Amino acid sequence: MAHTTSKPMNVASAEAAFDSGPDRLNAFISARTTSEERSTFFTAFQIEGKEEFLRAVGRFNEYIANHGTSGGGDGGNGDDNGSGGGNGSDQPFSATIYKQFLDSDIASTEKTTVSSGLFSDGAASLSGFHFSPTLGDVSASYVPVYNKATSDSTAQVQFAVGYANYGGSGSIGNTTKTTAGNRETAALYRQFRNVILGQGTEKFQFTGKTYGTVANGDPNGQDDFVFIVFNRAQMREKVDPGNWELHLSGSGDFQSGLKLIDDSSATTNTTINSANRVFNVVSGSIVGGTTTIKTAAAAETTYGAPGLFYPDLGIILLNAAWLETGGGITAKSGSMVFSTGTNTFGDNAKVAFNSISHSVAGAGKKNAGYFAARREEEISSTSYFARAHNQEFNFSSNPTYETTDSNNQRGAFTQPTFQGDPKAYITQVGLYDDSRELLAIAKLSQPVLKSFSREAVVKVKLDF
Amino acid sequence: MGFLDNTTITVDAILTKKGREKLASGEENFNITHYAFADDEIDYELWDTSHPNGSTYYGAVLDNMPLLEAFVDETQVMRYKLFTSDKDKANLAFLEDITLSPIGSTSNKNGTDRIVPDTTNGPSQPEKYTFQILNTDIASITGTGGETGTFSTDSRTQTVKSAAGVDVTINDLSVDTSRTIFQTVVFITGDQTGATRVVTIQNNSKGTFS
Repeated sequence: MAHTTSKPMNVASAEAAFDSGPDRLNAFISARTTSEERSTFFTAFQIEGKEEFLRAVGRFNEYIANHGTSGGGDGGNGDDNGSGGGNGSDQPFSATIYKQFLDSDIASTEKTTVSSGLFSDGAASLSGFHFSPTLGDVSASYVPVYNKATSDSTAQVQFAVGYANYGGSGSIGNTTKTTAGNRETAALYRQFRNVILGQGTEKFQFTGKTYGTVANGDPNGQDDFVFIVFNRAQMREKVDPGNWELHLSGSGDFQSGLKLIDDSSATTNTTINSANRVFNVVSGSIVGGTTTIKTAAAAETTYGAPGLFYPDLGIILLNAAWLETGGGITAKSGSMVFSTGTNTFGDNAKVAFNSISHSVAGAGKKNAGYFAARREEEISSTSYFARAHNQEFNFSSNPTYETTDSNNQRGAFTQPTFQGDPKAYITQVGLYDDSRELLAIAKLSQPVLKSFSREAVVKVKLDF
Repeated sequence: MGFLDNTTITVDAILTKKGREKLASGEENFNITHYAFADDEIDYELWDTSHPNGSTYYGAVLDNMPLLEAFVDETQVMRYKLFTSDKDKANLAFLEDITLSPIGSTSNKNGTDRIVPDTTNGPSQPEKYTFQILNTDIASITGTGGETGTFSTDSRTQTVKSAAGVDVTINDLSVDTSRTIFQTVVFITGDQTGATRVVTIQNNSKGTFS
């Protein structure tokens, strides 16, 4: 084909011309093409759809890239710089090296939900529980729980367990004020209340029990609870409902320990409150992929259900009243008894930790501690289809591609057979913005051969 | 850093440091519009036309080689780009050797030298180039048209695009006794041809080379 002095069209300008109507579009095309080029690329084109028009522009720009005398527009003005795109401040693109994405090349924002084991390295369960007494704050109301001994440099915090009390019981500073403030159990209760409960709600209430009467105790709700808060680095976005199980020691069930799960599998209309989704914690098991609920939350009328689970926050609240008596722990081993002196440090976080880690003597001690959980993430991704047609990208600027010939002239093909039948390998795809900045890079696991008899399409999926 | 599993063809895609920087500065600043292909890892001398099994196997070594995972440093990827040209292209473009006198000698501690590349077998009009110096602690570059270019997040890498040449200004390191690095490189890439050349910059402002 003959050389041409035409320059590639700026795609953004072409798109704007299309949007301006047929007259503007015809003027745009006429000003940028010869009559031969119009008849080749645009005469047959019917102005029916922008996408088809932009494809015609793409084919024209490719033709210019191969046959233009300027190599594809480094003009530097805002209208016709390179293969188009952007404004006059854009960096010029060589149309022989860079190719512009068309709308049809980009599949924007696919959303995929991905679940995996919640604990470090994607582990689905935890059986070893460790804490560091030297890390601070453990003397108060929570214990950071590690997957390994803290002497191991790879140990990571998995979750925190602690005790909260509405009136501050179990911590000092309630009647004898301290300079450090203390009253940690109260501060924690109020923090969870403010974050989770709606305005004007004073205390947490657990499903099954009827609160509101003095005779029933706790007229406004439960005064204390044990909390488990997953580390955000582990849970990522949210905890997967219906896919966690926690064993506590000191259980009334001599053989297997007390097992807790959530009741999402039995919930058809999920409760959405101020803290987003909330499910009840119930006794049961998910072992083997089958959910078995031992006692439904509604049936826990004496003390209320064992707890509440907020998957979007990664928080499990366990009903202290149920743990102390309703779960039968005290009756068998007494391992989960909270010290609620009004002005005494009760070390209740450690009580809860010991029960989870099965580190105290008792019936459940017979089994190792067990905490299984999955996390869930919604991944937004955009796919870019980088296409190399048969006539494109068959040469390389790789230094090993070019050599000195027998006449001591550089510019020869290292492989003489490539002259007239060029071949190149694709190993990387670079994605650029209008400023010719490399924003993303994709590597193939294997080189892909490209030649005039081969085409290649590489799907580059970017997750955000 | 590891190798990609090459038992099946997969694509390992990541954002570069620049991509992360743009994404962090606002979604509107992250706008991918173009793409290019490259083959940095390939040595075309391994194309073996003497393979006893015939032409199907000429590229067997390259076809089956494992590839390193992607680097996030945008200066270390997409160096050798593929390009489109006529099938019967006879001569490949290349950048002529660049002779750069050692700069920053003891008598010229703040010396400047000019790099003006020359492309052979390139486009009819002189092409422009992208210059990238990897360690601005050693020297900095300025386009011959006055372009200062852009700097990476850590300010060590400077890039000047679409310039005919650059002036390299060496930094005076004579009072900095802690430094042990005296050398850096400038990557030069033809904007139209993709032809590349690397120039080594030696800073001798301390009067000695390590």
